[in-house]
Amino acid sequence: MIEVRCISGVELLMDYLEGVLSVEMHDALEEHVAGCDKCAAFVASYCETPRILRDATASALPSDVEQSLKVFLRARTTAFRRH
Amino acid sequence: MVAKPLLPDDHADAKEDASGRSDEALVARAAAGDDSAFETIVNRYQARIYRLACRLTSDADAPDVLQETFLQVYRHLKSFRGESQFGTWLYRIASNAALMHRRAGTRRAAASLEAFLPRFDDHGTHAATPVELQVAARADELLDRQLLAQKAREVIAQLPDLYREAFVLRDLEEMSTADVARTLGVEPATVRQRVHRARLMLRGFLSNLVEVKS
Repeated sequence: MIEVRCISGVELLMDYLEGVLSVEMHDALEEHVAGCDKCAAFVASYCETPRILRDATASALPSDVEQSLKVFLRARTTAFRRH
Repeated sequence: MVAKPLLPDDHADAKEDASGRSDEALVARAAAGDDSAFETIVNRYQARIYRLACRLTSDADAPDVLQETFLQVYRHLKSFRGESQFGTWLYRIASNAALMHRRAGTRRAAASLEAFLPRFDDHGTHAATPVELQVAARADELLDRQLLAQKAREVIAQLPDLYREAFVLRDLEEMSTADVARTLGVEPATVRQRVHRARLMLRGFLSNLVEVKS
């Protein structure tokens, strides 16, 4: 039986969530987390971190940047074709 | 816990839009000199590439990265052979453009994020309490939105390049691990290792941010 502690369990999280752990390791991690409030709390925040940062850094394309891109590409692609 | 992909892959919808043409069909037409096809490609992806560029560089640098990316795409249309998905190819170009832009610009002061990694006692048990460990999961509820947005950009910019690229593509752009691996030219296991490391640091950063502001 594989023994998982908090410190080793943390290092398995990514592989666990991606489904690439061995069955034995997968089951050992689940058993540890089920009986460890600290790891359950840690897993919750580990899983939420990408969503929080994704929402916080979502940028819409400004219309002036879009317009500048069009002007830039028109000029540069025309020059590229001439060469 | 349930083992499943953490995040969905939303890139399938990028392949076609109102034009009804696939990326590959548009690339073939653009490579043959059809400027309207290239314009459709730009319109289809410009918002995503801008968002990616903001996350990999900064709001100030993103317009330049956006322009450089599509110029490179135009110049290399004929070299796209369809061996990878167009989106993967495009994201590789954009990621490289962002990296080059960062290297060409002023180097940011290196700030270690190691302090935000989880801490353990002598028995290998979390040093923090469950309440302290969970608080990062509520950072968006507990913090002002503008402050969180500003701090998020700052801390992502402080990640080492290798971690930031993998984290942004995998977790913020929601690409699959396999696609990120193809985009970066590394093994999926390497992507998982880099993303994991970034998540640990960023989770700890959010936790610290909430504690400081509370």
